[in-house]
Amino acid sequence: MAELQLHSVGKRFGDTVALRPTSLEVEKGEFVTVLGPSGCGKSTLLRILMGITEASSGEIVLNGRRIEALPPDKRDIAMVFQSYALFPHMSVRKNLAFGLEMRKVPKDEQRRRLDHALQICNLAAYVDRMPRQLSGGQQQRVALARAIVMQPSLMLLDEPLSNLDAKLRDSLRHDLVALHRQTGSTSLYVTHDQAEAMAMSDRIVVMNGGEVVEIGTPVSLYRNPRHVFTASFLGQTNLMPVEAGNRQARLPWGDVVPLESNHRGAAVVSLRPENLALTPDAAGHGEITAVSFMGAQANYVVRIADFNLKASRSGGEALLEIGARVAVSVTGPVSLLAETPALGRAA
Amino acid sequence: MIGLHRRPRLELMLLLLPGAGFLAALFGFPLLTALLGSFGLVGDDPALTLKFYARIFTSTVLLRSLATSLYYGVVPVAVTVVLAIVLALALRRHFAGRKLFNGLYKIPLKLPKMVRDPWGIGVIAATTWKQLPFMTLVITGAFAAIPEDIRHAARTLGAGPIRAFLRIELPLALPGITAAVLLTFIGSMGSFAIPDLVGAPNPLPLSVRMVRAFAEGDMSQVFAIGMVLSAFAFAVLIGYYALTSRVGTAKGDSR
Ligand SMILES: Nc1ncnc2c1ncn2[C@@H]1O[C@H](COP(=O)(O)OP(=O)(O)OP(=O)(O)O)[C@@H](O)[C@H]1O
Ligand SMILES: [Mg+2]
Repeated sequence: MAELQLHSVGKRFGDTVALRPTSLEVEKGEFVTVLGPSGCGKSTLLRILMGITEASSGEIVLNGRRIEALPPDKRDIAMVFQSYALFPHMSVRKNLAFGLEMRKVPKDEQRRRLDHALQICNLAAYVDRMPRQLSGGQQQRVALARAIVMQPSLMLLDEPLSNLDAKLRDSLRHDLVALHRQTGSTSLYVTHDQAEAMAMSDRIVVMNGGEVVEIGTPVSLYRNPRHVFTASFLGQTNLMPVEAGNRQARLPWGDVVPLESNHRGAAVVSLRPENLALTPDAAGHGEITAVSFMGAQANYVVRIADFNLKASRSGGEALLEIGARVAVSVTGPVSLLAETPALGRAA
Repeated sequence: MIGLHRRPRLELMLLLLPGAGFLAALFGFPLLTALLGSFGLVGDDPALTLKFYARIFTSTVLLRSLATSLYYGVVPVAVTVVLAIVLALALRRHFAGRKLFNGLYKIPLKLPKMVRDPWGIGVIAATTWKQLPFMTLVITGAFAAIPEDIRHAARTLGAGPIRAFLRIELPLALPGITAAVLLTFIGSMGSFAIPDLVGAPNPLPLSVRMVRAFAEGDMSQVFAIGMVLSAFAFAVLIGYYALTSRVGTAKGDSR
C-alpha cells in the first residue's frame, strides 16, 4: 500500500475553490514534486497535509493511518518552510533538538540523530550559532536538518529554495537530492520552478487552477504530455493545430507525422524545439527569422505556414543565418494534447 | 581636520537639545530636586539629614504603606498581564474573544460591592480594568508579530498548543509583554486616584501618604517617600527581568 494516499481531498474558502477534490498516492521513499503556477493551490494542499488548514472534503491516509482529523503534532509529518521558520531565540542545536524533545526521544538517540543530521547537512561548524547569525543557505540547511532528525513518515517542502540566489539554489538542489537518497524519506516537494521539478523528482504532479492536471515521471511528462498545460509549462514547446486520422497527423505546412492515437479530426500537438530538424534548403518552406546562440545550443525562430516555430540545434553545428531558407522535419515523438484537463479525473 | 570632526558633533548636540533638554528640564531636574530634598538639602534651612528616610523605615504605619504600595503595584499588573495574554490569544480566534470582551465591560457594574475592602480587591479590579486595554493592545501586537510559520513549525515538530505557546510563542512575545508590564507597573505603583477612591482606609499606599504629607507642607518627607517608592519600583522591575530572562531557556535550554 502506498505510504501516502489522498482520496478526493478538496478545499474551498467560501465561494473560492482553492483545491478541487484531489486524489494522489505517494510510495514509500518516493520524491514527488507538486508543480504549478502561483495560486494554483500547492500551498493549500501542503497546509491540509500538515493539519494547519482543515480540508473541506476527503480523507488522508499516511502509513496506514487516517490522519485528516489529527492535529499537526500527531501526524508524523515534518515540514520545511519557504520562510525557514527557524526559532529565532534558539541556537541551531536547540532548533534541531526541539522536535526530538517534544516527541520524547531518548537522550542518546537524540544525540545520535543530531550528529548525523549536522554531518549530512554540513552544519557541524554552526551548532552554537543563533539563526540570525547564519546566511540564507545555512538557515535553509538548518530547517532541513530540523525536519530530517524527526525521521518522519512524510517530509513536506514548500518552495524551500525560492529565497536563495540562483547559484546557491543549484547547489542546494543537488544536496537535497543526495540527502533524499541517503535518508530515503517519502517527500512531497512544492515548487513553481519546472527546472527544479524536472531535475529532482521521481514523479511530478502538475497542478493548475486548483486541480491536478497530470501526474507522471519527468521524462514521460516532458516527452509525452497529455495536456496543453503540461506541454507548455514543462520546458519550451510549439503547440500546433493538426488534422488527425489513421494514426497520423497532418501539420499546417503539409508534413504528415505518425501518432499514437486513434483520434480523428482537429487536434493540437506539441512539438519540442529539439525535435525539429532544420536543414538548409533553398526550396524549403521555412525561413529563419531569429537566432540566439546560447553556447551549448542555438535557438531559432522559423517562419513556416504563418506559424513561428521555436527550434533548436546543437551549439556545435554551423549557425544558420537570419533569412536563410530551411526544410523542417519532425524527428521526435508527437503527442496529441487534450485541450482542457479532464476535471477532477486526472490520472 | 579636527574642525571637520567637531562640527558634526556640535550639530548633533544642538539637534539633540530639544529632546534631551525637555527630558532634563521636566524629568531630570525635578528628580534631582526630590533627591536633594529627601536629604533635607532643599528649602529654607538646608542641612544634610537622613531623618526623613529614618522616619519611613522606623514607622510601622509607613512600612505597611510601602508594602501596600508594592501590593497595589504588583498584583494588578500580574492579574492584567495574565488576562491580557488570554485576551490576546482569544482575539486570534475572534469568537471566543468577543465573548470575553462582552464579559469585561460589565466589570465596573460589580465594582461598588468591593469598594474599600481590606484586601484591596476593589483597587486591584479597578486598576486592572484601567490597564487592560493598553496591555491587551501591546500584547496582541507582540503575538501578531510572530510569523505564522514559526508557530506551525513548532506544531509539526510535535509540540501541542500549550507547549508551542510556552516554548516558542511566549519567549518570542516577551519583549512586547515586558514593555507593557514596565509601563503599566510604573503607573500602578504610583497611582493615587484609585487607591484613594476605592482603597481601604488602612493601610494606605505610599502614594496616598505622599499626597497627605504634601497637604501638610512637609516637602522633604514627600521627597523621601517618592524616592523610596521609585527605588522599590526599580527593584521590582529588576526582579521581573531576572525572572523573565529565564523564560524559554528553561528546562535544559540553559547553557
Ligand atoms: N485563507 C484563504 N481564504 C481565501 N482564499 C484563500 C485562502 N488561502 C488561499 N486562498 C486562495 O486559494 C488559492 C490557492 O492558494 P495557494 O496558497 O495554495 O497557492 P499556491 O499554489 O501555493 O501559490 P504560490 O505559488 O503563489 O505560493 C489562491 O487563489 C488563494 O487566493
Ligand atoms: Mg504557496
